[in-house]
Amino acid sequence: MDFDDDMILDQGPAVTITEAGDNFVNFALQKVDLSFANSLRRVIMAEIPIMAIDLVEIEVNSSVLPDEFLCHRLGLIPLVSKNCTEDVEYTRECDCDQYCSRCSVTLSLHAKCTSNEIMKVYAADLLVDHDRANPWVGTPVITDAEGKGTVICKLRNGQELRMKCIAKKGIGKEHAKWAPVAAVGFEYDPHNKLKHTDLWFEKSIAEEWPASKHAEWEEPAQEGERFDPDAEPDKYYFEVEGVGNLAPDQIIHEGIKVLQTKLATILNALGETKEDAGERFLPDDDVDMGGRNDFDNGYTTPGYNGPSYGNHGRATPYGATPYGQSGY
Amino acid sequence: MAPNKSTEEPVAAPASSQEDETMEEDVALQEADAANPAIYNLGDSRIQLLPGGDEFNTSFEFQKEDHTLGNALRYIIMKNPEVDFCGYSIPHPSEALMNIRIQTFPPYTAQEALNKGFEDLIALCDVVADTFTTERNAFAANQESQMQT
Repeated sequence: MDFDDDMILDQGPAVTITEAGDNFVNFALQKVDLSFANSLRRVIMAEIPIMAIDLVEIEVNSSVLPDEFLCHRLGLIPLVSKNCTEDVEYTRECDCDQYCSRCSVTLSLHAKCTSNEIMKVYAADLLVDHDRANPWVGTPVITDAEGKGTVICKLRNGQELRMKCIAKKGIGKEHAKWAPVAAVGFEYDPHNKLKHTDLWFEKSIAEEWPASKHAEWEEPAQEGERFDPDAEPDKYYFEVEGVGNLAPDQIIHEGIKVLQTKLATILNALGETKEDAGERFLPDDDVDMGGRNDFDNGYTTPGYNGPSYGNHGRATPYGATPYGQSGY
Repeated sequence: MAPNKSTEEPVAAPASSQEDETMEEDVALQEADAANPAIYNLGDSRIQLLPGGDEFNTSFEFQKEDHTLGNALRYIIMKNPEVDFCGYSIPHPSEALMNIRIQTFPPYTAQEALNKGFEDLIALCDVVADTFTTERNAFAANQESQMQT
């Protein structure tokens, strides 16, 4: 760590939290590079593993909604995913045949309308099987005052729903239902002093573009100030808005962890040719995943021991895997 | 990766010293050019060396990686004073491939620069995580004291 002592560590990245609540955290990240801040944003949106309903076995559906309509809705219901990175396996990496309590959570839904009034089926009506990886994981997130959660469907007299939902661990890159955040606000240089954006205007930028809420955190360009072509962005305003699966600070930590594991796995694999590197950075659970190598189906979730197997021999010509493209 | 690959010998065996490694890489590069112009496997099946170049001017191809890794890695490698040039590209948006080019000042090799890049980025993540935790605790404590008054 010789060169970055003065570049990074001396000043050190800084974080200022401006606002926080049950489901969001707003903070400014300082003294890191744009590329790193953007990596953090990307990783938070697309690569933090959480739980979501992925498989639905429908026994009865006499509601007005078609099966796939309901399945899609069920998939989008946020489920508590506390510690699921450690406690829950990916189904494709699990030793079981199809799914089991270590790699999935079963939720059952049974509702029938027997009165003349329209009956609403809520997320709270999902019954969570207690045979699961940890005592939180898979419970629907319910934040409303009545404790009912989101409406899944409405039933008329005589209509019935009976189904078994299997929730699995996944990442947002594969499907947005696995994204732990509704949005990550990301802004830098609110006065556009770096000219990274070209603001369209008719008469005057100042009149036509309202100032962002972060504008007061930075000095506007002075009258007659010259444009500095060497200036670099330095302060990034994050607004992380969770969905309830994970607490906002957990989201940040998980994001950093995912990024680190991603790096460590590659470094570790590179370290096979160079013994000293790598090893020490990897989490303890690095060992082999029990010989299910052939189940690497297209997308390997980065950092989760992905490359620790099958690393012998050359790739097929031109690097194409027989399993086709990933889920990007 | 195809499951039937596991019987093959590892291409790059662990090298005990720095010199061995450099030589080995040299041999490997020639071998790669002869056997298959497109690819040489670098231990991790997701990283390959692209043809053209030597151990100080190397292009690495990462499978299943994107801007998340590419840009941050590019930046941190460029911070290394031993590195002359580092750039990355995603050759085609519908292929999950990311290429990173590293040119170093000999005798420092491109692979050393890559390794150091990873280590430094991990260290940077640690610092940011710690800073965030400290700040969050301070923020929570501050909120609590405001609630009391």
